[in-house]
Amino acid sequence: MVVDSRPDLRGVNACERLTEADIPCSYVYINSATYVMKDQVTKVLLSADALLANGYVLGSVGTAMLALIAHKYNKPVIVCCETYKFSERVQTDSILFNELADPKDMLTTKTGAASPLSTDPAQRKVNLVNLVYDATPPTLVSIVITEIAELPCSSAPVILRRDGERRC
Amino acid sequence: MIPYDTKFQELSSRLKLASGTSRTSVASGCDLFVRFITLRSKSLEEDVWDSKNFDNLKNHLVERGKHFMKRLSGSRKSIAQLAYPFIMDGVTVLTTSMSRVVMEILAKAHEKCKKFKVLVTISEPDKRGHRMVKELRSRDITAMPILDSSIGFVMERVDFVLVGAEGVVENGGLINYIGTYPVAVMARSLNKPFYVAVESFKFYRMYPLRQTDLPNESKYLSEDEAEHPVVDYTPPQYINKLFTDLGVLTPSAVSDELMKLYI
Repeated sequence: MVVDSRPDLRGVNACERLTEADIPCSYVYINSATYVMKDQVTKVLLSADALLANGYVLGSVGTAMLALIAHKYNKPVIVCCETYKFSERVQTDSILFNELADPKDMLTTKTGAASPLSTDPAQRKVNLVNLVYDATPPTLVSIVITEIAELPCSSAPVILRRDGERRC
Repeated sequence: MIPYDTKFQELSSRLKLASGTSRTSVASGCDLFVRFITLRSKSLEEDVWDSKNFDNLKNHLVERGKHFMKRLSGSRKSIAQLAYPFIMDGVTVLTTSMSRVVMEILAKAHEKCKKFKVLVTISEPDKRGHRMVKELRSRDITAMPILDSSIGFVMERVDFVLVGAEGVVENGGLINYIGTYPVAVMARSLNKPFYVAVESFKFYRMYPLRQTDLPNESKYLSEDEAEHPVVDYTPPQYINKLFTDLGVLTPSAVSDELMKLYI
């Protein structure tokens, strides 16, 4: 089951690749994540953009939400992350440090018509915020699978320490 | 090296088959034994490994094996030494099934003249809790057997829970005789500390996400899957501390120790 979200809709690509590999897949928007999680899902597989030193997982926006819903329904959350993505940074939320993508991407509509929000920027009273990342706390993640080991989320600093020792 | 490897595997599987309910601890012990004796330490002289002299190498392996066994046999004593201060005067300790490590800790505390009471769950189906009570009473420790179903009833007057282990997995979770998981959940629900006393050779390279992830050989004694399982898995969030011969650890430190050994 591929969960997708606007505006990037990268899940479509994931679905195409899965069907090419003859893997049956379903496609939902993140709005219906709670609905499918209860009965139709047994495990949640997520990827990460970074794993921080305090165990927080930095993933594309929506990751934290899926992890939270999965945790509520007692489904294991598996994060796949290569060790080069392990970072020494510490972050407890996704507000303090994040990236903003082009807000105009949020203005696309299904029918192709102009969105009611797409007026001249100077007159726009609504702030469009297109966040890129969000932070998932380590308590919501069951296991992190890297190329060298499977570890609990809280053990991210161990890998960093190991790599630090080897470089010295 | 190939024939040597298969010989060890053959011996390990024979041990596992013969060990009954302690299959997990035997499995982890064997893995660690093989790992330990073949470990190349930097302080070792180069000519032992590089020379064509097989006897030298063989002696080295035997020496390492003896060292490993010496450490193993001393581990229960060192755990008792670390853990007995946690048993203060007037406490009520809850434990499950029969654990020699827990016995050693309680005996040490008693030796140091602490006054405490022990409640032991009977631990169906083989009722091994009765053996624990008998052993404790023979050492003059106040012990009482309780029904597995009455842990909800007694938990409010328990000060902490102390159990042994068949194995500890990579995320710090516990594999122990069936019935341990409900005790852990009950303890967490009533905010009672849950401690595990375990030797470090029982750290196993396995990462279960649910009860069904445990291998069938650990869970069932025979091929018949309709039989009741003999072990269950307690996730790390229910465990407060682990008393090991490597020190008093939190569940997250277990993966650290395992990585030191294997990676």
